[in-house]
Amino acid sequence: MVPFLGFVLIPASLFAQKDTTGKRLDTVTVRSSRPPQIQAVTPSQTIGSNDFARLNAINVADAITDFSGVIIKDYGGIGGLKTVSVRGLGANHTAVLYDGVEISNAENGQIDLSKFNLNNVQSITLYNGQPASICMPARSFASASVLSIVTSKPNLTEEKPYQVSAGMNIGSFGLINPYLQWQQKLGGNWSYIVNSYTENANGDYKYSINDGNSTTEETRLGSVVSMQEADGALYWTKSDSNKFNLHLNFYNSSQGLPGAVILYTPPPNGQHEWERDVFAQTGYEKLWKSSLHLLINTKLSQDYLRYFDPHYNNGSTLLNEYFTQHEVYQSAALSYHLLTNWEVSYATDFSLNNIDANINNFHYPTRITLLNVLATNLTFGKLLIQGNLLNTNVNETVRSGTALPGSNIYSPTLMASIKPFADQGLQLRAFYKNIFRYPTFSELYYGVVTNTNLKPERANQYDLGVTYKKSFNGIIEYVALTADGYYNTVNNKIVFQPGFDGAINYGRVDIEGLDAGLKTQADLGSGYKIPLTINYSYQSALILTDPSAPDYLNQLPYIPKSTLAFNIGVNKEHIGLYYNQVLSSTRYFDNNNDASDYLPPYSISEASVVYKNTIKKFPVMASFGVDNLFNENYVMVQSYPMPGRSYKLSFQITI
Amino acid sequence: MKQIKLHYLFIAIAFTAALASCHKDRAVIPHDTPTAQNAGIYVLNQGGFDDNNSTLSYYNYSTKVLTADIFSSANAGAKLGDVGNDVGIYGSKMYIVVNNSNKIDVVNAQTSVLIKSVTLNQCRSVVFYNGKAFITSYNGVVAVLDTLTLNINTTIKVGADPEQMAIVGSKLYVANSGGESTTGPDSTVSVIDLATMTQTKLIKVIANPTSVTADTLGHVYVISFGNFSNIAGGMTVINDVTDQVLSQPAISIGYNIPLYQQHGYVYYPTSNNDIAVYNAQTQSAASANFISDGTTLVAPYAISGDPNTGEIFVTDAEDYSSNGILYAFDKTGKKEYQLTVGINPGRIALLNK
Repeated sequence: MVPFLGFVLIPASLFAQKDTTGKRLDTVTVRSSRPPQIQAVTPSQTIGSNDFARLNAINVADAITDFSGVIIKDYGGIGGLKTVSVRGLGANHTAVLYDGVEISNAENGQIDLSKFNLNNVQSITLYNGQPASICMPARSFASASVLSIVTSKPNLTEEKPYQVSAGMNIGSFGLINPYLQWQQKLGGNWSYIVNSYTENANGDYKYSINDGNSTTEETRLGSVVSMQEADGALYWTKSDSNKFNLHLNFYNSSQGLPGAVILYTPPPNGQHEWERDVFAQTGYEKLWKSSLHLLINTKLSQDYLRYFDPHYNNGSTLLNEYFTQHEVYQSAALSYHLLTNWEVSYATDFSLNNIDANINNFHYPTRITLLNVLATNLTFGKLLIQGNLLNTNVNETVRSGTALPGSNIYSPTLMASIKPFADQGLQLRAFYKNIFRYPTFSELYYGVVTNTNLKPERANQYDLGVTYKKSFNGIIEYVALTADGYYNTVNNKIVFQPGFDGAINYGRVDIEGLDAGLKTQADLGSGYKIPLTINYSYQSALILTDPSAPDYLNQLPYIPKSTLAFNIGVNKEHIGLYYNQVLSSTRYFDNNNDASDYLPPYSISEASVVYKNTIKKFPVMASFGVDNLFNENYVMVQSYPMPGRSYKLSFQITI
Repeated sequence: MKQIKLHYLFIAIAFTAALASCHKDRAVIPHDTPTAQNAGIYVLNQGGFDDNNSTLSYYNYSTKVLTADIFSSANAGAKLGDVGNDVGIYGSKMYIVVNNSNKIDVVNAQTSVLIKSVTLNQCRSVVFYNGKAFITSYNGVVAVLDTLTLNINTTIKVGADPEQMAIVGSKLYVANSGGESTTGPDSTVSVIDLATMTQTKLIKVIANPTSVTADTLGHVYVISFGNFSNIAGGMTVINDVTDQVLSQPAISIGYNIPLYQQHGYVYYPTSNNDIAVYNAQTQSAASANFISDGTTLVAPYAISGDPNTGEIFVTDAEDYSSNGILYAFDKTGKKEYQLTVGINPGRIALLNK
């Protein structure tokens, strides 16, 4: 049988559900002190809803800052853009899944993780390579890594056919974030969940700016944030192997864009952005007794963005741009066990993306993408071998100008894992994945030049890792260790060339790295438990474009060689105290790698206290957290200062 | 027993760490030690947009010392700001136009010590005439800065997003790019009468005019980007007596369009990143590539010269995110020396002894 992967740890009173990216949804009760499931064929890191409070997190970007191999690019503040780059590859190489279906952005490929509030999130898993299932949408095979967001599922009984959770986060930056979740069991096999939240903040924060000679204190203004989201999910669950879901999601936001902090001149003011996104998503899954497994997903989405700048560049021009993206997406996947140890699958995805804008000379591109994947996995005793071949066919049309010629690309993946020794706690794994990212609409059609010779950015990933887990009966309850060495190559990097004012394929990068993680928990007796997580990453991401150029073998901008994150806590019964630390070595913001583009290392601490109890059998949770505990002044992106110390108070009750 | 199993683990970790082992050798960058008649050469490096990392490199020909950022070292570490777009020396002072920091830093030309910072929104280029510095601003004006009082007393209204300028006699030619417009570029050159400080004429040229230079034979040269759609970029030659368009010679232009005139020859980069030469006397192409020794450029970003020696200086911005190179060529196009300067070296100024 194929091992199921990607478990989520939640307390004994609840259930652990597998990630829903197209796998069977058996529910399994687990003891809270069992070691986390780390033994997947590809490296994966998971964080569950139970951990969000101790990480002081209210959005997805906050929740995954400790993951190894992950660089969050944060433009600062509560409304600042936050994107994720994994193992030295650009943000566009990571697919973000929402209940198994990719959230795409054909415009610029950037998914802002600060937009995803955690109020309806059950778990977040990062897979290097791809999730381990072979019955999943073709898009899940089509990125260098996958960040899978899984929403809360109904957790109801005949005796209690409804559940209401209400909560509130308030804190620095004028943050007010109330949220409400309503779960309801309907007749037959139907149930629904409705989630909604609003988030408002003035976004202002103090920072200091140094011009090389003197430092001045300033206040970052113009970062006001107002967002609202409603997500309704309808579930029909005949059984674990025959079920359907429908999501309707509405997101609306209005926020200031304070821009870069420029020396010697007052910050720009009045730049603003509005977003209004709607999508409908359905999933149907059926598993027959014959082992035939069917998964069908459909999505329709419309993303509207308005960008306004009252003082665009020359101080008098008013910039008022509208962009509307549409996506039509249909996916079908089918798998079958030819033998008990041999499973094969086929998945096919169709997607249509287009974009409208009010820009002069806009090209109005429409892209049709067809993905086809053949995949298989084989189990020989302690050895698991899995492989797939992805075919990508892209065709593009434009209403004016020249479209990028169509392309047809094959990209293979091969993975294996083995437990070679009698001790089943030790596993070795390896994978090779050849993948690419296609140029985005903005890379192709927003620059003044359309480069029809632009090729996809190709990446090869090689990974070799070891995992070890062991439960003990002493003070240490368990130890889970992972270490993966990897080697990635990137060719035909897509970069925007300022002089050309369009995108070109320029350059080659080699990334050698190591991701290592430790999870453990000590039981000190009398109910005191000490959970500890440590993640370390080493990334040597070197420019290999031109051996005669001065930047040859220099480190890529914004990638630190080393990062270390650890989270330690102590909890007893209802109360937990947690401390989180993220350390980053020096980074460079350009290719020089000298004093001129040096960004100093930083070390950011967070602390939180979490209280959980029941009041008249209703579960309640209250927490207080401090971000940037020691008020460190730092930047992640040059000219975008990060906030100093900030506070957050949260409360939640479930009825 | 437990120890033996952990032993396997450490072997495996060592094995995976071995993946991160092999390293390639770095090329050695040559460093030249040039000599020249001048005191030194300044290169203004734009840095990256919004990166606040513009620098002023200086090479001192007598001490043979290259200072990566002489502005910073002469001014107690203070940074220049964001996007230094133009630099010019007039008298004993040097004027550094820092575009995105919205200021002109007036410094001592010999020492780079700051004398005064003058605020001007989205300032772009500077030229000098009769004790005045003329500075274009994206506000649609040319600001007139008195070089003694260092105050802006007058602004002359021109077209949208004015870029470079040239002075012939008592006339100032200003390229109105309209390059920041959301409704398409401008396509005019303003002619300013410097006696009255008013615009006297608008000359229609190719859309999005940006670079301007003049020769001593009666011509003003303008290179335009075009609109990147149905209007191609190109060069317009203007008769500086009649202020009529003389011709629009078919030339190959590149993605960067520095333009420089010396001794009757006009230098500009081509789409192949060669440095083409146009003969001002015959008004025809003189050479497809001035560089005669096989030196190749990746992204020619600035062109200047020394009229006394006939030397031509060209900077190369390389990948636009690491230090660029200043090349000096003799008048026959043979490389004399090269120096590593800063990121996006966009302007060159020679300092006389």
